[in-house]
Amino acid sequence: MTESTTANNIRLGLFVLVGLACLVITLFLLGRKQNLFSSSLQVQADFRNVSGLLTGNNVRLAGINVGTVRRIRILNDSTVRVAMDLNRDVRPYVKKNAIASIGTDGLVGNTIINLNASPEPAPPVVAGDILRTKSPLGIDAMLGTLNVSNKNLVGITKDLRAMTRRLNRSKALWSLLEDEQLARNFSHSMSHVAATTDLLQASARDVQLLTRGVRQGRGAAGYLFTDTAFAGQMHHATRQLAKTSDTLASTVASLKRQVSNPKGPLNTLLTDSTVSRQLKQSVENVAQGTAGFSQSMEALQHNFLLRGYFRRQKRKQAKQQQAAEKQPTPDKQAQAAKQ
Amino acid sequence: MTPEPTLQPAPAPPAPGKPGEVVMTVDHVSKSFGDNHVLRDFSLTLGRGENVVVLGKSGSGKSVLIKCIIGLLPYDEGTITVLGQDVASLDHVAMDQLRARVGFLFQSNALYDSMTVRENLLFPLRRHWLEHSAEEEEKLVCQALDDVGLANTANMMPVELSGGMRKRIALARTLILRPEIILYDEPTTGLDPITAREIDQLIREVQHKYNTSSLIISHDMNCVRLTADRVALLVDGRCYAEGTYDELEQRDDPKIHEFFA
Amino acid sequence: MSNTALLDETGAMTRFAGRFFSEGFRPRYEIQELLRQCYIIGYQSLPLVGITGFIMGMVLTLQSRPTMAQFGAESWIPTMVGLTIIREMGPIITALIFAGKIGSSIGAELGSMRVTEQIDAMEVSGTNPFKYLVATRVIATTLMLPVLTVMADAIALFASYLGINLKGVTTMALFTNNILTGLAFGDVVPAVIKTFFFGFAIGVIGCYKGYNSEKGTEGVGQAANSAVVVSSLVIFILDLLAVQITGLLGLN
Repeated sequence: MTESTTANNIRLGLFVLVGLACLVITLFLLGRKQNLFSSSLQVQADFRNVSGLLTGNNVRLAGINVGTVRRIRILNDSTVRVAMDLNRDVRPYVKKNAIASIGTDGLVGNTIINLNASPEPAPPVVAGDILRTKSPLGIDAMLGTLNVSNKNLVGITKDLRAMTRRLNRSKALWSLLEDEQLARNFSHSMSHVAATTDLLQASARDVQLLTRGVRQGRGAAGYLFTDTAFAGQMHHATRQLAKTSDTLASTVASLKRQVSNPKGPLNTLLTDSTVSRQLKQSVENVAQGTAGFSQSMEALQHNFLLRGYFRRQKRKQAKQQQAAEKQPTPDKQAQAAKQ
Repeated sequence: MTPEPTLQPAPAPPAPGKPGEVVMTVDHVSKSFGDNHVLRDFSLTLGRGENVVVLGKSGSGKSVLIKCIIGLLPYDEGTITVLGQDVASLDHVAMDQLRARVGFLFQSNALYDSMTVRENLLFPLRRHWLEHSAEEEEKLVCQALDDVGLANTANMMPVELSGGMRKRIALARTLILRPEIILYDEPTTGLDPITAREIDQLIREVQHKYNTSSLIISHDMNCVRLTADRVALLVDGRCYAEGTYDELEQRDDPKIHEFFA
Repeated sequence: MSNTALLDETGAMTRFAGRFFSEGFRPRYEIQELLRQCYIIGYQSLPLVGITGFIMGMVLTLQSRPTMAQFGAESWIPTMVGLTIIREMGPIITALIFAGKIGSSIGAELGSMRVTEQIDAMEVSGTNPFKYLVATRVIATTLMLPVLTVMADAIALFASYLGINLKGVTTMALFTNNILTGLAFGDVVPAVIKTFFFGFAIGVIGCYKGYNSEKGTEGVGQAANSAVVVSSLVIFILDLLAVQITGLLGLN
């Protein structure tokens, strides 16, 4: 009986000790987190707005927890003084000119104080120092920016729509794009040019041959006077050359005429600086807007609350893209035209 | 040394100490639960070495009487004096000291189910601050178990025992303190007639061996016949009649006759 | 009528608890019996409480995963599960299981001791049954339930760790850190303190029901039953009170 009682008491003692140990370890870890058991030094900072900071919130230096908020006090209607306990061991790394700012731990996390180092050298903080502060970038401000971006985006899309409608309505552009004759003409002219150039080259080779013969032969004069065939050849070559240059000139002239014709569609496109400026700006705007939007999106995507929404959005987008690839959008046509 | 158990109602045993000494008086005691007056002006005395049976019907307040005597229930009026002490006036310590000298055999034995027989026996011994060495304790346990004829049951659990054995163990548990008075609450209820008779003999045996005074509550006429030196008839909360078994049996009173019929 | 019965019962129970405070801490001290009860009530409840805690942690983790994944917040599961278990689930589930196991056994044990006159027998054996039976059990439940709760919390968190590692890999260190970042003293201390009250309520109600049981063996069953029912209800009421009080103290 006594032996079993002792054994039971030992088991009971073990049981209680393990339970207490669990509790004590938890409390100790929590205490260490809140720096209850390590020596600390107190520094202060004045803020306009602490965005819901609470005593016990973390103070971070370069993203590492280095202390906790000890006390929050309202000094006057526009100043809140925050006292924070910093771990002694980080004191060398927190300089007197460090800048304190209010931040959040993630988009929906706790409010925290971030300490940012300034580039200038300064001695380490001592207890009681008042650090400089930077006004916080609140979620409100971020959402405000997002709102403006959204409004811009609406304007941009509206412009884009108007523009594409105008482009759609422009008969000249369409006739230009659809005029097969023009293209055929153009290619025809080009083939002419190519042929002429070939001829020119051939003639030039002949002349070269000739001159080489004169240099090597019995003298140019003798050759010239004795060989009547050569004279004929020479004559023919020269005539040919002249004809070729003529053709080339006429082709170029015709091209020039076409371009300089103020009613021609090609000209409209190339010379109308307003249209091209507008187009350029629109594209630039679109690029800017898209960049801004994608930034906002990225910011929002980090917010896990909206992640599900964006995931669905992405799927929808992918589907639309597939559909769009089958028929080119007006946007693409406009760009093609510009080129 | 052990006197032969007598099956017949024995004459008053040789009284040690002062003969005729009164060890317990119940003097005009009343007790009621709300409107239910269980005891009204009840009086009784118990002499040393005497077996008194209080005979009454079920629910007539016999158990209440015995619980008032041992201080388990407070009573409303009158005085109960046990071994010269007024029960109502005692504080906890004095009451415990008195209880060490008064054994109580419960109707349901009240053996502690979670303890072995030995632990059951040792419980009152230890709880009454009676310091004994382990050998002495063992000796006392063996002696007490021997007295009730169950020497080999020390390591058994109460649930392993039969009803009669449990009654004996319960008696052993009161005997281990060598009480001067033993209060029996319906000792034979729920036992078969043969076992009941064995218990009755045991009560007699114990009385002879240790010269205890006993107050026995019963409605079992066999028990009364076998154990009683004197019978008190409890009717309507009063002591209706008093006398030996034979005397009462002879009386020509319908209320008394009810019991003896 | 039932209103008066309720008030009567509540009053009697309160007086019983008061009697515990006035009698329970006077000598003589039943240290041996207290240790025995602590062993029975605390140590021997550990397997049951441990299994409950294990399943609780595992289920909570696996259940919360799909929802948290939908929000892209899987990395918050340890924090959430840790907070839930330590603040609420651990204390309340352990207390309810404890009430079921210990409340009923106390109710039945004392009830049967009452109807078989063992309590009276103790009293005539020089023992104050209130101190010997009631005070030891009440102290034992009051002291053991917090220990059991802490251990159930620990086991539940370990189970949660396993649950997280069923799909994906998390190191123990990261898991611990995740939990600790979400925790503060204001989460742990009130949760532990309230378990003392839960334990006290379970002990007092179980003892009251058993100690005052009547009507023979039927009363024993009733005592065990109503001990569980009433103490479970009281646990919830105390939990509500605890949440209000910690809120008032600014610890929520």
